[in-house]
Amino acid sequence: MINKCEKIPDEARMPPRFADACVRCANCMAVCPVSRVTPTFPGPKQAGPGAQRFRLPSEASVDDWITLCTGCKLCDTVCPSGVPISRMNLLAKAKYLREQGRKPRDWVLARSDLYGESASRLATVVNPLMKNTVIRKILDSVLEIDARRELPSYERQTFHRWFRARPVAAGGFTQGRVAYFHGCFVDTNETDVGKAVVALLESQGLEVALPPQNCCGLPRLGIGDFRGAREMGARNIASLLPVVRDGVDVVFSSTSCGMMLRHDYSQILGLAGAEELAEHLFDVSEYLLSLYDDKKITPAFLPVKVKAAYFAPCHLRAMNIGLPALELLGLVPGLDVQSVDADCCGLGGLYGFKKENCAVAEAIGGDLAKAVARIKPDIVITDCEGCRMQIRHLTGLKVVHPVQLLRDSLKPLPVTG
Amino acid sequence: MDYKTEVVIIGGGATGAGIARDLALRGIPSILVERGDFTSGASGRNQGLLHSGARYAVYDPEAARECVAENRILRHIAPHCIEPTGGLFVSLPEDGFEFRGEFIRACENAGIETVSLSPREALALEPGINPLLIGAVQVPDGAIDPFTLVVENIRDAESRGAVVFTHTEATGFLRDGDGVAGVVVRDLLEKKEFTISASWVINAAGAWANRILALAGLSIPMSLSKGSMLITNTRLSQRVLNRCRPPASGDIIVPNSTVSILGTTSLRVDAVESFEVLPEEAAFLVYELSLLVPEIKSERFIRAYAGVRPLIRSGETDDDRSLSRGFSLIDHQKENGISGLVTIAGGKLITCRLMAEKTVDFLCEKMGLRAPCTTAEQRLPGAGIGRSLQDRLLHMRREIPAARQEILCDCELVPRDEVEAVLKEGKVRELRDILHRTRIAKGTCQGGFCVYRLLGMLNELRRERNRGDSNEILMDFLEERWRGIRPILWGTALKEEELIESIYKGLFNLSGELSGGQEAGERGRR
Ligand SMILES: Cc1cc2nc3c(=O)[nH]c(=O)nc-3n(C[C@H](O)[C@H](O)[C@H](O)COP(=O)(O)OP(=O)(O)OC[C@H]3O[C@@H](n4cnc5c(N)ncnc54)[C@H](O)[C@@H]3O)c2cc1C
Ligand code: SF4
Ligand code: SF4
Repeated sequence: MINKCEKIPDEARMPPRFADACVRCANCMAVCPVSRVTPTFPGPKQAGPGAQRFRLPSEASVDDWITLCTGCKLCDTVCPSGVPISRMNLLAKAKYLREQGRKPRDWVLARSDLYGESASRLATVVNPLMKNTVIRKILDSVLEIDARRELPSYERQTFHRWFRARPVAAGGFTQGRVAYFHGCFVDTNETDVGKAVVALLESQGLEVALPPQNCCGLPRLGIGDFRGAREMGARNIASLLPVVRDGVDVVFSSTSCGMMLRHDYSQILGLAGAEELAEHLFDVSEYLLSLYDDKKITPAFLPVKVKAAYFAPCHLRAMNIGLPALELLGLVPGLDVQSVDADCCGLGGLYGFKKENCAVAEAIGGDLAKAVARIKPDIVITDCEGCRMQIRHLTGLKVVHPVQLLRDSLKPLPVTG
Repeated sequence: MDYKTEVVIIGGGATGAGIARDLALRGIPSILVERGDFTSGASGRNQGLLHSGARYAVYDPEAARECVAENRILRHIAPHCIEPTGGLFVSLPEDGFEFRGEFIRACENAGIETVSLSPREALALEPGINPLLIGAVQVPDGAIDPFTLVVENIRDAESRGAVVFTHTEATGFLRDGDGVAGVVVRDLLEKKEFTISASWVINAAGAWANRILALAGLSIPMSLSKGSMLITNTRLSQRVLNRCRPPASGDIIVPNSTVSILGTTSLRVDAVESFEVLPEEAAFLVYELSLLVPEIKSERFIRAYAGVRPLIRSGETDDDRSLSRGFSLIDHQKENGISGLVTIAGGKLITCRLMAEKTVDFLCEKMGLRAPCTTAEQRLPGAGIGRSLQDRLLHMRREIPAARQEILCDCELVPRDEVEAVLKEGKVRELRDILHRTRIAKGTCQGGFCVYRLLGMLNELRRERNRGDSNEILMDFLEERWRGIRPILWGTALKEEELIESIYKGLFNLSGELSGGQEAGERGRR
């Protein structure tokens, strides 16, 4: 009669207090992009604190719809009672996926950091393959990676190789040193964003350091692989903590990596040292803006004649730091930039690449696409690589990171000596 | 219209319902009258423990053996009303091991399976237990859903020819010389009186038994004890948790569906309707049970409620009347020279089937009928219907995408069609009847957010009968709800209450005076 004393993995433990805090006001239901577009997902209140009362640690999960939560965290931002809804969903998802067994596809997508570097080396081979319809059909049917979605192409030289290979910057760094956490995507798929960050920071008298770093672990966490995510996190903390203890701040350009480092490492993964690190981690625009506000830097930009739409990614909003990039962009003379009135791009990182989620991602994105179209911009600007991919996919427009536009409109430095 | 039948049953609690079913299965016609709804009495106000018998093993071995047998039977006939959770008797340092040894021996004698656990093993099963525990004993306790159990007994009885009247009170007896020849009853909603003549009247009015007997100038020695309980928002443990010490107040936590029930207190009372939970009782339960599960101190509660136990003083009655120390079957012919009247009282929810069996056996003997009892073999009509938490979550998953079903009660996931099915049955006459037949209003908000969604449906129902005033029903419900939540209003519960209050007062403009005013206005218009 007595049950086996089975060891319960930590993702299966959920403090009951999580559900207790909900006052059932339904604020969260008004912002969830997923429940807005699909009836299959019952919405944050029901999926989080609501369903939690029905989940017994001893019983197998039956709520397969939990995998539909993109983890955008918009619900968390409006909850008046501090219910960690997206975290509950993540824990429930982890339990569900652990019981069901994750698909090989999930492992492949979540470990892009393991093959990113090699893919970059073989970019000339890999990129055409990724566009090959036959290969995509195979990926679609075998791995369930949706064929309708373009896969990002790999750069031939990774960002960190470029950084190491470039000529050592001349001195004159009046503002001290800052370390940069670039994340995987910048490293292997969008190196120009990293190059822009370096150029922008250096132009303001900041010396840029590139401490050793790994994937932030968010893709692993997204498929409920807590152990894998924790491993990544521990490695990054081990490398970054000495840097900040030396008095050097760390900036990131990817809001999702940033959210993971700054919030999830401590709040979800409970990693040692995470809180200390978080105090010295900044979004790159947030960092520059605060230097500007403190009158430490006075960036000068050339006038541009561009009409731009700026979209604030969910994870940026969840960070609760305002819209620093939009403020910085306001310093560029002639730039007509308008904020896009939409809540979420719908990609949800790897979420939108999964065949079963593609329709949901497209539907959420549909509203964003319409909002962008209303602005009729020449270009779209957003801080998150996922959003950039999605907006490119949806609108066909050119989409850049704020730092790219800022760098491009920098006044060339006066040549001295 | 007046009625005539073989047996009249007064009281539609677990006992009365069990008797109606047993009679129906043996082919004896009966009519049951219930003043409120089926679970208005103790049957809807208890802790929902499916006793393994362990709680009685040491001090009442006979009751323990009864529980062992009935527990097994209920698992067979009513699996959908039962959660076979298992239970632990936990020894804390202050309890010592003295009682534990005696307890294990007594369980063995009563045929109750026990497994002794080390503190480590117990904590692995139930991480919430006080880590200072010195040991635990596992027993086959469980949880039982009294609402479903009673309603299902009634459904089965009705499908086999029994007739039931709810909201109908027995107000007097029809007399035939020295005997009783039926009852005078009053439909409390229609405000109409009628009679039911019968060869036998069974008084199954629980704690109200003496009120019924008073109508015939009789009484039995009975005292009343109030027990208060608290309900948590989430389930605290997977298993029933008891203190391993002589049974006392505040020593048991029973998981039940989405919640856990902390119990109980024990206070002598004079009035049967003593349902108010005092602040000191709530404080006592929280304190006492936080010794067992420390988290309870910061737990969110959603309701407090109380039930009244009729305690029959068997010492003053002859031994042969007392079929067991658990319950009493009283033949008033033998006792008081009044024929045709039988009282069945005491016992437990889980022995109600047995009580019914003994009562109907007795009647059959008197009638000279040879009809064997089959209630222990025949399963209840809903047996096999999935009602576990998993099933309900799964139901939501199935229902949501397809039909865009409206979920009436978010907290307990009750879809509209479930309520419609209950309404279609045609048995409910009041809002509370719906609440007894579904899990509506049994969750976090205690109906604060969902009951107004029901009013439209209810208004239809009442309009058919020419009595529609949703405001009045809503006020009644809110008053009762308020009594239930007032003792536990602190922390998040208090925050949520402010929100709910602002919905009713601010959005619905509902206040005491106003509803009176509206009522007057409506009457004026009519
Ligand atoms: C606090 C508490 C905790 C308990 N915990 C448990 C437990 O965990 N497990 C367990 O097995 N048992 C438990 N019990 C015992 C169990 O609840 C009762 O034994 C059982 O419900 C009794 O059912 P009943 O039908 O005899 O009485 P009741 O359910 O009280 O039914 C009597 C019915 O008679 C009706 N009535 C009264 N007067 C009239 C009238 N004039 N005309 C028509 N109808 C009338 C009432 O409305 C009522 O519905 C507990 C009891 C209490 C009080
Ligand atoms: S994290 Fe985003 S998708 Fe998930 S429930 Fe919250 S709002 Fe909805
Ligand atoms: S916003 Fe927060 S408190 Fe309100 S319903 Fe959602 S989880 Fe509950």
